[in-house]
Amino acid sequence: MVFSKQLRKDLTGYAFILPNMLGVLLFFILPIIFSLVISFTDWDFTWGIGNWNWVRLENYFQIWKDQWFVRSFINTVVLSIASVTFIILFAIVFATIIDAQCYGSIAIRLAMFMPKISNIVAVSIIWVMMYSPWGPVTQLLKTLGITNPPKFLGSYTWALPAIIFMMIWSGIGYAVMIYSAALQGLPAEVYEAAKIDGAGPIRCFFTLTIHFLSPTTFFLIVTTLISMFQLFAPIQLMTKGGPGSSTSVMVYYIYTSAFSFYKMGYASAMSWILFLLLFLVTLFQWNYQKRWVNY
Amino acid sequence: MKKYLVFILILLLLGSFVFAQGSGEAKKDKDVTILHLWMGIPAENGPQDVVDAFNREFKDKGIRVEYERYVNDDQGNLKLETNLLSGSEVDVYASYGGLTRVAKRAEAKMALDLTPYLQQDNLVPEDIFGETAIALSRVDGVLYSLPTTLTKTSFLINKTMFDEAGIPVPETWTYDEFRAIAKRLTKGEGLDKVYGMFWNSTQNFYEMQARLSSRTLGGDWMYDPNGRETQLNHPVLVKTLELINNTMNVDGSAPSHVDTVTQKLTMENMFLSGRAAIVVDNFIIRSVKDLEQYPHDFVTAFVPQPVVYEGGDIYTWAQYGDQLSINPKSKNRDAAWEFLKWYATNGVQYMAIGGRIGLANTLDKDSVVGRFFKGVDEIIDIESAKRHFIYNVGDNLTSTTIFTKAPEIQKVMNEECEAIMTGRKTPLQGLSDAKTRADEFLK
Repeated sequence: MVFSKQLRKDLTGYAFILPNMLGVLLFFILPIIFSLVISFTDWDFTWGIGNWNWVRLENYFQIWKDQWFVRSFINTVVLSIASVTFIILFAIVFATIIDAQCYGSIAIRLAMFMPKISNIVAVSIIWVMMYSPWGPVTQLLKTLGITNPPKFLGSYTWALPAIIFMMIWSGIGYAVMIYSAALQGLPAEVYEAAKIDGAGPIRCFFTLTIHFLSPTTFFLIVTTLISMFQLFAPIQLMTKGGPGSSTSVMVYYIYTSAFSFYKMGYASAMSWILFLLLFLVTLFQWNYQKRWVNY
Repeated sequence: MKKYLVFILILLLLGSFVFAQGSGEAKKDKDVTILHLWMGIPAENGPQDVVDAFNREFKDKGIRVEYERYVNDDQGNLKLETNLLSGSEVDVYASYGGLTRVAKRAEAKMALDLTPYLQQDNLVPEDIFGETAIALSRVDGVLYSLPTTLTKTSFLINKTMFDEAGIPVPETWTYDEFRAIAKRLTKGEGLDKVYGMFWNSTQNFYEMQARLSSRTLGGDWMYDPNGRETQLNHPVLVKTLELINNTMNVDGSAPSHVDTVTQKLTMENMFLSGRAAIVVDNFIIRSVKDLEQYPHDFVTAFVPQPVVYEGGDIYTWAQYGDQLSINPKSKNRDAAWEFLKWYATNGVQYMAIGGRIGLANTLDKDSVVGRFFKGVDEIIDIESAKRHFIYNVGDNLTSTTIFTKAPEIQKVMNEECEAIMTGRKTPLQGLSDAKTRADEFLK
């Protein structure tokens, strides 16, 4: 058999990426397809593979009547929007301040970046201690004169905000890092021109910096939002969704349905809802960016 | 020069390959059948002794057992089931937590029907393990597992604290008496406070309810006798939650649920450091015996849980457990049966060192008692341990037999109980809501 030169070149190329592709295919593509298939079934894991009944779209409709899912859905949305908003707001301000007038800016940036590279399990355990009645957060509030500080992780009202606060703390360093990198590349001459025209630092920040940083902001919103929607480890480690279901998020409930209730079909349907949701949100942002992102 | 180097390297490579093959071959003894045993107990708490004893005894018959521990939680069970489904590496395994898992595993063809083996050896399981235990182990009339242990629930108390306060160790006590005693044993403030009771509410509320309500209602306390709905708003359940709520939020004689959760309090760190006089379950007996990790010098005694009111039937909730099954995909099923038979009727005695009490009447009770108290007879009250934990006499044992939608109902219960304990709902309100929600799953 004679292969054309191009084909032979292609085949060699594919042979090189074959080991990696096999991994992707086996552990990524196949499970994705499999989860889509079983999301149309009532499969219980312990029934063994193949022992399922087709229920068409029933799982997808049933989900919205499940108050655990609805609660988790709302919590996920609240958590994601709140933490992304605050991360972006604080990060852009901090990055500008650090960039403009700060001694030891590298050390500060590094310190802020630490949570990002710390193990999330360790971080969660530390925050459980921070929030405990004998922990520093509660003690600090007491010293500040608050006689009856909230019981954070044990409180229906405060557990979710406590987790949001922790996520802001752990997400801010990365955003500052990205913003700082972007700030290095801003055109100095525009700032000089603005200064000559009489603009002060605050005016410069609002009209120039925010404007120039918009592509970075867009990138950060998209990536942070996706990672917040997929939050799982801190919930599992800190509250297990409680008290009640006040901190239950979508991925945590998917996990519970799949591995406590063994309802694999139902859990897969929820995963696909989560995917669709993320897809739509990202698509929306992608289209909407033309209005406010300037390259 | 270069050529020689390459040549030598190739020789070395080939040589090591041949040697590796050889040594691998030498290790493998052709006549020995290796069995893989999967259980959820740390090896040093009994399984290692079991394996050693079996390998000594069955050396001539050419069977060896190797132990693999899985953690008995969601992930651990998933790992076991994945291995069972894929067919390799598991010959004999234990299932925990009543029959739910065994039933599911039997349904999924992950457990072998043991009837032919029992018949072949002329064994009548009812004679060895008792009628109740075997009846509870059957799935649709078929025996896919043998029950090997009996766990009777009880409270654990710090007997030294009781003695110091001049309170006699209770035998039967009502909720009111219990509440008064818990209050009397509570002293101090802040971080040094010693509580009368610790409910371990992080774990789950369902367990607490189960321990107390089943004293009066029996093992299926959660379900209405007709089986079509729950009875989560039953007066006994309401009274039980009122009791728990009173100790936590009225008397302060037990850490509140919020404190338990936010401080991650555990039975070990409350009871074994002397910060609680009574704890809700005896499963930490393994830790009580572990003086190296939890050094303490007080005496621990077993006492039955209180009852709503005296009179009437009083049950002791017991679990026939550590159900041993054979993987149908195992290549060594006959050898696996040899091990299972030996373990259930004899080998399980070695588990007493970790606090697990064998069920079969073929066991040498003195050996079980001896192992259980080995090195700890000064810190465990022997009489109460025999009466309420080891011996199976004179008790009205009850067990859970209905498991319909149990994980879902337990989640509902936990949420509603949490609302009650944090003062958002009254016990009656919360439990009525729990019933409404749980009944949805049974429709």
